[in-house]
Amino acid sequence: MTAETTRLKIAGDWTERSDGWWLSTPASSVRQIARTMLAAGARFVTIVALPEPVNTMQLSWHWDIGGTLLSVVSIIAEGASVPSIVDIYPGADWAERETRDYYAVTFEGRADTQPLMLRDSDKPGVLLCQTGEKL
Amino acid sequence: MSYSIPIGPYHIALEEPYKIEVECEGENVVGSKLKVGFNFRGIEWLAQRKNITQSIALLERVCGICSNVHSMSFCMTLERIGNIEVPARGQHIRMIMAELERLHSHLLWAGVAAELIGFETLFMQIFRLRESVMDTLESISGNRVNYSMNRIGGVNRDLLDDAKIRQVARGIRSLTETVLIPLLTTDQTVIARCKGVGVLSREDAIAYGVVGPVARASGVDTDLRRDQPYLAYDLVEFSVPFQTGGDVLARVVVRALEIVESCKIIDQVLDRMPQGPIHAGEIYHVPAGAAALRIEAPRGEVFYYIASNGSDIPDRVKVRTPSFANIPSVAAMVKGNTIADVPLIQAALDPCYSCTDR
Repeated sequence: MTAETTRLKIAGDWTERSDGWWLSTPASSVRQIARTMLAAGARFVTIVALPEPVNTMQLSWHWDIGGTLLSVVSIIAEGASVPSIVDIYPGADWAERETRDYYAVTFEGRADTQPLMLRDSDKPGVLLCQTGEKL
Repeated sequence: MSYSIPIGPYHIALEEPYKIEVECEGENVVGSKLKVGFNFRGIEWLAQRKNITQSIALLERVCGICSNVHSMSFCMTLERIGNIEVPARGQHIRMIMAELERLHSHLLWAGVAAELIGFETLFMQIFRLRESVMDTLESISGNRVNYSMNRIGGVNRDLLDDAKIRQVARGIRSLTETVLIPLLTTDQTVIARCKGVGVLSREDAIAYGVVGPVARASGVDTDLRRDQPYLAYDLVEFSVPFQTGGDVLARVVVRALEIVESCKIIDQVLDRMPQGPIHAGEIYHVPAGAAALRIEAPRGEVFYYIASNGSDIPDRVKVRTPSFANIPSVAAMVKGNTIADVPLIQAALDPCYSCTDR
């Protein structure tokens, strides 16, 4: 399946940018999108978290299909949880654990919730720390 | 009866810290757990507090092997946000550096693999070739590891001795075609040690999201230089080698064939090297905006995402390295193999823990 046919299968208003195609969608639909991506043979690339000014966080999930980057972006409230896609894409395991370590985002439905980069006793959200602040 | 063997985080065969806990039944591996993060340096946090000129040097230290690709990806992402056009000569010099770095990385890996296979003579031959690449990189940049070649809008130094670069590339191509590839594909020692070991199926390769030579060895025909050309890759001819075996041997062969392709690219880039400026001037900040960028690093796709607020300190710098995508697949590769195969399977991935932990 091509990037174009995959986009058509995922309902929504896709926008073309210089870095690929982007879709804004609620986080609750990411599992269904992941299933469609897997069926299309898309490769999971990564998750990017971006804190926004007013207690919100932008989360984007990225896939590659035939060299085209398809990105799905959601705005969530700070401290909110989002569904995990690890059971669909095992390759998302480290990306989810790292996002929790760095920005304290909780991924629901995971069997393994161990930190990736931090120690077990560390508080998640290390990239939210200010200069001089300790975990 | 099953038992578990902890390997690492400090291990004699790997210079970087990493832990794999292998679950065995007799000699056979039935499961594994991976642990990284021993080398976590908070590079993304730092990059969100330094200005973008300082961060070029910082990002170059993500990896000790493919340092150039990180500073280049960082600059190219900012150039995409700022719609900054890099002069043609600057783009061609970036390609030369990128392909020399690929040669350096693949030859280093091939040498380590030869050592692990137990083929000491081959290790010596490969490292002799690698040294000629290191000398060339040093003659271009003044450095053997962190080359400081990239700046926003181009490169810092021009090429002074095209003939030497061409001579080294042709020498490596000749020895790879006449010695390295025949040895790796026909020698019984190599085949006996690598064939059928550490298989990653095409389906698992997609599910785990592996990239670069690891993906190509499992039948996933992907290479960003061809699929989404950047710099001047659309102007040169090269093949994308791929295999369907998915085993250690397939990963060995793919990388050996890629060495030849990199040499071909270097030769063509030198042939068509344009005259003119090597950078677009003094650029210290980019407008507000965000962009993702992907580059085909020696170990596979590297992903950068930068969100700029218009100042010289970005809001977000995200780095996803190829090893971060590839290492989790070790769990699928080691399953069903013997404990003695684990070091070779890990090495065949060409993992970089410094990149992974950042």
